[in-house]
Parts: sequence; structure tokens; C-alpha cells
Amino acid sequence: MNLKLPCLLLLSIFLSFSSYAQQDYPTNRQVEQRLKQMANSANAKLISLTKTEGGQDIWALQLGKGDMENKPAIAITGGVEGFHLLSVELALQISEKILQEHSEILDQTTFYVFPNMSPDAYAQYFSDMRYERRGNSAKIDQDRDGEVSEDPYEDLNNDGWISKLRVESPMGDYVPHQSDSRVLVKADEKAKRNEKRYMLYSEGLDNDKDEKFNEDPEEGIAFNKSLTYKFPYFEAYASDFPVSQPESRALLDYLFEHWNIFAFVTFGPANNLSAPLKFNKPEAEKRVVTSMLEKDVKLNEMISEMYNETIPYEAYKQDNQGTDGDFFQWAYFHFGRLSFSTPGWWVPDMKEEKTENGSQTDSVSNGDIKPTAETNFLAWAEKEGVDNVFLPWTEVEHPDFPNQKVEVGGIKPFAMTNLPYQMTDSIASSHTDFIIKLAEIQPKLELHNLRTEKLGGRLTRVTVDLFNNSPLPTHSELGGKSRWLQKLQIRLSKDKKDILAGNTIKLVDKLEAYEKKTLSWIVKGSGTANIRIGAPHTGFVESNVKL
Amino acid sequence: MNSKYIQNTVLLAILSFLLNIAPADAQEKFFRAIGTPHQPEVQVSWNRYYTYEGMVDIMEKIAKAYPELAKMESIGKSYEGRDIYVLTISDFNTGDPSKKPAMYIDGNIHSNEIQGTEFSLYTAWYLTEMFDELDFIKELLEDKTFYINPSINPDARNDYMNQPNTPHSPRSGMIVLDNDGDGKAGEDGFDDINEDNHITMMIRKSPTGRYIKDPLDDRKLIRVAAEEKGEYEMLGYEGIDTDGDGEVNEDGIGYYDPNRDWGWKWQPDYIQRGAYKYPFSLPENRAVMEFVMKHPNIAGAQSYHNYGGMILRGPGAEEDAETYNSEDVAIYDEIAKKGEEMIPGYRYLVVYKDLYSVFGGELDWFYGGRGVYTYSNELMVSYLYFHENKGRGNQDEELKVDRYLTFGDAFVDWDEYDHPQYGKIEIGGFKKNFGRAHPGFLLEQDAHRNMAFSIYHAYHTPKLSISDVKEENLGGGLKQVTATIYNERLMPTHSSQDLKYKIERPDYISISVAKVLAGMVVNDEDFNKVEEQEVNPETIKVKNIPGMETVKVRWIISGGRNYSIKVDSAKGGIAEWES
Repeated sequence: MNLKLPCLLLLSIFLSFSSYAQQDYPTNRQVEQRLKQMANSANAKLISLTKTEGGQDIWALQLGKGDMENKPAIAITGGVEGFHLLSVELALQISEKILQEHSEILDQTTFYVFPNMSPDAYAQYFSDMRYERRGNSAKIDQDRDGEVSEDPYEDLNNDGWISKLRVESPMGDYVPHQSDSRVLVKADEKAKRNEKRYMLYSEGLDNDKDEKFNEDPEEGIAFNKSLTYKFPYFEAYASDFPVSQPESRALLDYLFEHWNIFAFVTFGPANNLSAPLKFNKPEAEKRVVTSMLEKDVKLNEMISEMYNETIPYEAYKQDNQGTDGDFFQWAYFHFGRLSFSTPGWWVPDMKEEKTENGSQTDSVSNGDIKPTAETNFLAWAEKEGVDNVFLPWTEVEHPDFPNQKVEVGGIKPFAMTNLPYQMTDSIASSHTDFIIKLAEIQPKLELHNLRTEKLGGRLTRVTVDLFNNSPLPTHSELGGKSRWLQKLQIRLSKDKKDILAGNTIKLVDKLEAYEKKTLSWIVKGSGTANIRIGAPHTGFVESNVKL
Repeated sequence: MNSKYIQNTVLLAILSFLLNIAPADAQEKFFRAIGTPHQPEVQVSWNRYYTYEGMVDIMEKIAKAYPELAKMESIGKSYEGRDIYVLTISDFNTGDPSKKPAMYIDGNIHSNEIQGTEFSLYTAWYLTEMFDELDFIKELLEDKTFYINPSINPDARNDYMNQPNTPHSPRSGMIVLDNDGDGKAGEDGFDDINEDNHITMMIRKSPTGRYIKDPLDDRKLIRVAAEEKGEYEMLGYEGIDTDGDGEVNEDGIGYYDPNRDWGWKWQPDYIQRGAYKYPFSLPENRAVMEFVMKHPNIAGAQSYHNYGGMILRGPGAEEDAETYNSEDVAIYDEIAKKGEEMIPGYRYLVVYKDLYSVFGGELDWFYGGRGVYTYSNELMVSYLYFHENKGRGNQDEELKVDRYLTFGDAFVDWDEYDHPQYGKIEIGGFKKNFGRAHPGFLLEQDAHRNMAFSIYHAYHTPKLSISDVKEENLGGGLKQVTATIYNERLMPTHSSQDLKYKIERPDYISISVAKVLAGMVVNDEDFNKVEEQEVNPETIKVKNIPGMETVKVRWIISGGRNYSIKVDSAKGGIAEWES
């Protein structure tokens, strides 16, 4: 990839929002500045939902026009994992692009953007001890031994990174990868015992002498492991019960008050866009539903197809379709909305290139030697000219392993999930396109064939066809069961006593994709009546009828 | 009950209070009944119900009368801003109450299930009034702490009492939700057409009605045979179609269920009807949760509901059956079976098997989420009327009660009214405070019996002592010290649910002063099977001290003739030994 062009492009976009070109992912402070820049637009409003334990704001950026809360809305969420810097950047850039390049979409769709749900953990990247952090700043006893944070990370070689620790030992489980000896892989049974073997840990000391390294670091609850769906009770980063943190409560409280959201797009490790979730009949039929329902899987398939047409790179190792307590599954299973998640970027499969240029790192798939995610990443980095992604193994003294060879090194934290900042722009562009396409197919109520028939004696029969002009239904199959989605409300602005057939308000559960429903009333009297139909998440349609 | 009677009672109460000042006179007027505080400092009538204000008043009086036994604190605010008050009852002169094994009691989670409040208050009152009278209670409060939270739904308690309601409403708190999905919240609740502060039934004369009034008892409607013509149709609870959607009473207060809001295996509303947004999304429950998290000494818990005469344990949900393992169930059984004997008419049952299968209940969080042995009692059972088992809501029995025991106090006689939609109707039926709520004359006895069950429960929270310390000289200035820790009660310091998830920290057994070379848990003293703890051997971490069993720990120490040993257990309290 040529880095110059996207860089320039990025610069030109940024100049409109920011006074200087960004070289790296933005700090929390810079995120705030960019959000405030956007909030200067008439179509944007920024509010802080709460502050985290670490004192960081949880921002909600509303993009919309007019009666925003009665237009179908898409919720865009970044930073569900604190180490996923790219997700925050995507949420920001997509917001910027919607405001700058697609403001016409705001006539019909509202966007609620939550750019960073893990600002405490995110800040770790900008600290002098960088590691891929998930937890917020709450004080949590992750290993539940009665002592809090008694075994944190230590930067043994003082390079500013928490990487890996390898200890040469005949009892080790790890051996160097045969195509790239920097990378360690778990030895299989066939591996020769005379090979150099290593024990592998994260960089630090075993402070509490329990033979586990850094199992109780100074971090708290992970947002993406602490929501109600399949909450992993008492696991590290989840703790005692779901939605325990101010940021998760504030977000959920906000969402429960915004009835107009019809879909979620979450940037996080899970991916149900490259490939849809699968339908599992027994799991879908249990009282506690753990499979996406059948009709909703069809919708997921349709949206996945749209995603794959829009995003110009192929899925590789995208097998995370949700983890316990995560956000994107919550949005579907517990909030009843269409919910889509993607990491935004992943290391592409380097296998193809092997035959073409035959460079050293491409030999990883020769014969029986299987490439790992790490060797594949290193091959990609070399091909793209991305430097400094490996911290070379350097020897350190380690009190837990006296008289043993101990080295610190490994792939640089963050590098495998966050591509270099300069390369983020094209990813943001294609994902903006995807989100605009999703907005364009939102449920769309239309009234057709409005007609009146005089029945005599000041009685009029009013008939109209209600049509959902969208490939999406007004309610997902699961959403139809949830009290947190309103039904379609059909209101006729006449006194109850003047409506001889029908009611002033009638509720309809759902319209399928492209479904039509004929409605009629018999009304007494003259003048005009107003028909107003919809729900916040479908938008409202209205028409005046002369009696 | 008429107002004149209330006045008389109040007068009597004031009178007897004044008489207390002169004990000699009192002795002439009263003769002690066994089992009841004879001349209580705090006068309470236990044959009526108290609004939130009345409840707070009693709590304040108890805390004021017994400052060394009772402390009152607000643990948070309800949705409408009322303080949720807890009384801490313990002997404050014998150690920090937050370090003693504790029993937590609350009531009224469902606002219409009112008498849990009075039962909780009775417990606080009885314990404080009897502390100086009975050795058993004195020792109990030396060893234990009671946290008594009489109403965890104070807003809707007052709504239930002060506003027109059925025996079943509101049940939720006072948050008003959109129940019918029309975008408006609470637009069509009950309407008290006859303005008697009770929501009773509407019936209407109709040629197609399937009911007649019983010729022998016109309070009762009976269904006619299929081939017979009836006279009345049933129209449901008092109300009108306020919003013109063709439905009556379809969107009132709530609806949500505060007992589906707790953070163990919580499920959303479409799976578990009544759940709110997420666990502890209701402020009242959040306050309780925060209190419990701050008080890891809570080892037993009781929540009061109504009705049906049940001592319930979890699991609430069938899907959660494996959470309750046999070791813990054995302890549950032991305590609750004793409870069945103490409270005639009450049966020990399992929620999901014997009642219904539900997620997000309070008792499930206390046990599943905190490892605390917890029961919910469904107070009031029709057995108390005539010592017969006629079951819940037996209309014939209830009519008989109101004829022979309450003399018409429980029933609103049918009367005619004009309804804007139905036209001429009749309104009548049982009052909201009958059926689920005890009649006054049954209240005190059942409160006492249920309290006795909770006292038994509290008694069996762990009680630790260092029962034996053995010293052996190893030569070279080294000594081996073996300490035996005994748990004198049924409950372990960690339930098996607690152990499974490491909910509470281990128990710490520490030796002070001496220099410690090694420390270990002794699993089998006879054959010297030990487990060494290399880090911090002076404080041995023990996973659990089982009920009615001992745990042994051993140190190898050098020097130090005098030393002390201390057991520090979150749920088992503190025990100390000095050489």
C-alpha cells in the first residue's frame, strides 16, 4: 500500500477539523477536541453521559436534524475494548465523514455515536507502560484471592512496552516457529525434545508467588465483558454482576431512553458482518434464547452481503462471533435491535503472496509448517513496509528465574489489532459507505391510496394502505418480543365518540419487509382528520384527510 | 376497624406508657405473658399496619431507646426520594457489628406484600426489648448482627395504602412504564369509581351474562350451568378506558417486578416478564446491593413476601438447578424444616419446582451472587383462619371469615354506579387489605413465629472459636504450634456456592509476635498430612471452616514465648487466643 496518498487525504480531511496532522491514534484529550469540533456543526450535539472511575468522560455524539428522536437511528460504538484504538478512530472519522460528506442522510436517519466506551483502558496506550488493556480504573480483585492488584505488570527492560517473557527451560511448552524463529508456538507432541524450549509469560514478576504472572493487574472491569448477555459471573474483568460500572450503566440508561434506534454498528473484536451469525434451532427455542432467531439470521445475511460488497478486503481468521458479556450481542439478545459488529480491520491472509515473491517470511505455509496469526502478521508487516512491529528478545535478570536465561520481547502490543494510524483513512471511508447503505435501507413507512367514501348521514369511510418500503421489517423477530421497542401506533385525530369503526389509537405489532396493510375507519362528522402512523424506530408518516 | 377503636388503642398506649414511669403501679395492672416483652420501652401495636412514615417512626424510637443495641441509617433513596432505612441490631459493646456474622432481613419488595415490614420491625423491637431479659437473646446479640430493612419499596408501599388499589397492586415500585407499547406511559390505570380507596370488581346486568348472585349469599357470584340463563357479566377491576384504545386498565403504575431485577442469571423482560433494564437498575434494589456488598459479614438472609405460607429457597429458575449443590441444600433443609415446625401452616418449598420458574429474584442473588443462605417467606396462609388447608384465594372460606371473624370489615357490598362506557354497573368485592394481608388479630402471632425462624437461622451462622492450641518443642529453639479452630454452628464460613466462585476472601488464621519459619494447614493430624503455605506463613489462608467441624493449622516458630492467634473470617467473625 502506498502510504503517501492516504496520508495526504487524511491531512486534508483533518485540516477542516483539526489544526495539525495526527501522527498516531488520538489521546482521550484529542478525542474530546475532535468531538467538540464536530459539535460546532448545527447537525451535531455532544453530551457527556458520565465520568469513569478514571475521570474520563463517556461521550455521546448525536448527529441529526429536526425531530431527531422520532427518526430511525443507528448507534455507532467504538472503544468497546480499550486496546482497540482503531475502533475509536473509526467512530470519529465516520462521524466526521457523515457531517462533511453525507449530511443529507440526516434528513431521514439519526446517529448516536459513542466513540469510546473504555477511555480508562484506552489511556494505557499513551502511558509510559503500554499494554493491551481491557479494564477500567475500578479497583478489582481479578483473581478473587482477597487481595487487590497484588500481581501487576512490570516493564522489566524499561522500554515502555509490556510484552512477553520467555524463559529457556527443558520443561517449557513453547518452541520457535520454524519459519520465523522470533515467534514462539506451542510445541505439539511430535516436537523433538532436544529443541530449544521456552516457558512463556507476560512481562512482569510473579509478585505473589502463585506461579501465575500478572493475573491481578491494576485494572478493573472490561466494558465488553460486563454486559448482561451470557455474563461470565466472577471471571476476571467481569467480576460479581453485570453492568456494574458507571460507564455501562450510563450508556444503557441512555439507550433505554432512545426508542428510535433500529440498528447498532459496533467496532470491536467480534465480527458478524464478514459472515453472519448462524441459526441454531434448539438454542433459539429455549426460554433463554442463545441463537439469533431464524428471520433475523436472514437479515444478518443480507447485511453481511452488503458489507462484503462495500469493504474491499477478504475475511481472514474472523472467527470471533461474540464473547460472553459483550456489547454487540447485548444489543441484539437483550435490547432487541439489529446488531452488527466488525473489527474494521484485520491482518489479511498472506498465503496468496507466497508463491508470487517467495520472500523469507512467506515460507510459513511450506510443507507442514503452519502459519500462525503472528507469523502471518509479520509477513504482512514486511510486505507493507510497516516497521518496528517486533520488540527483539532482550535478556533481563529475573528474580523468579535465577540462573536461567530470561528474555523480554515479542510482537509489539496493539500492532496486530491496530494498523498504523496513517492507514486508517481508507478503512473509515469504506465503513462510512457501509453505514450509509445501512441507513438507506432502514424501515420506511409510506401511506398510499388514501381514499374516502361517503356512507351518507355524515359518515365517511377512510381507507389507506400502509406500506413498509424497505427490505428490513419494522421489528426484528426478536425485537417484536421486546417491550423496549414500541409497536406501530396508528392514530386518528378524532374523538372516540366520532369513530364508529376503529379506535383513536390502534397498535400493530410489525410490518415485514415490503409488507402492506390496509387500514380503515368509519368517521362521523366533517372537517379534516390527521392520520399519524409509526414508532420512533421506524419514523412516523402522516396524512390529512378531508371528511 | 373503626376510627373510634383506633383512638381507644392510642389512648391505651399513651396510658400504659405513662404508667411505666411508676413501676409499682404497672405491676398492679399487668401480668407478664411468656414470650413477649413485658414493659417495652417502645410501645407498638402489632395488630395494625404502618405507612412508611409510621415505619420510620418506630425505627427511630427503637434506635433512640436502645443506642447501644440499635443504629439507624439510610442506605439510599427510593425512586421518589424516600430514604431506605436499615436498623443495625447488635450488642455494640462486644465488638464491631460489621465483624460479627450477620443476618439480613428485609420486607415489602412487592409493595402490596406489606406485612414483611411489620414482621421486620417486630424482630428489631423484640431483640432490643428482650436483650436484658433473656440470656439467649443477650448472647445472640453479643455474637451476631441483624441488619433489618423493613421496606425496600417505600414509595409504592404508601401508594398501596393511600391510593386506590387491588390486593395485587402496585406490586412494582412507582416508575411508570409504557405497558402496551403505544409510546405513552401509565395513561390508563385503575379508576376508583366508588371512591372508597379500594379497587374492587365491576359487574353488570346482562341478558347474556353467565353469573347470578348466590341466593344464599348475595356477596358471591356463581356461574350458571351451560343451559341456564344468567343475570350478570363480569367486567373486571374498577376502571374506565381513559385513552380510547378499547382497553380498560391496560397501562397503570409499573409494570415491572422488583424481584426480577437482581444480578444472578438475570434475564431481560422478553424472557423474564417484569425485569427492568439490567440488574439493580431499580434504585431501591441498588441501595440494598450496595449495602450487602459493603457488609460481607452477612451470612444469612431473609426476605418477606406474601402470601401462601411458604418458606422458599432457590433456585428460582429451572435452568439454575445445578447452582444449588447437595452440601448447601443439606443446610437449607436443616434450618427450614425446623421452620416448618415453628410456623404452623407454612411449608418449605423450592421456588422453581413448587411455585414458578423465574430469573432475577432477590434470594437467587443473595445465594448465587453472594453465597448467602437465604429464604423468602410467603407470609399469611389461610390455615391461620380455621386451621384448614383451603388454599390461596378460596372464596367460600374468605366469605366465611368475613361473616364470622371480621363481621363484614373485609367486603365492599355491591352497589350501583354509572360507568361512562359500560353504563349502569355494580361495584363490590373484597377489599385490598384482605386475603394477602393478615387480619389484625393474626398479625402478632405470625410475626413472632417468623421472627423465631429468622433467629434460628441467624443462630446457625458460623461461630468460631480457637478450641485448642498445642505446642511441641522441636529443639534448637524451634517450636511447633498447632491450633484447632472450631465452628460451633451449622453454617460453614463459605457456602459451597461461595467456594465455587471464590466469592468471599479466605479465612485468615494468623499468629503474632513469634518469628514464623513455616506455616501449614493440617489436613490429617494423625498421619501428618499437611499443606504448606510458602508466602506469608504467619497468616494462613483457609478456604473454609465447615459447620460443626474443625480446621487445624500449624506453625513452626522460633523464640517468642508469648504469642496470640487470631481467626479473621468475613462471615465467621473474629476469634482470638492468647498464650
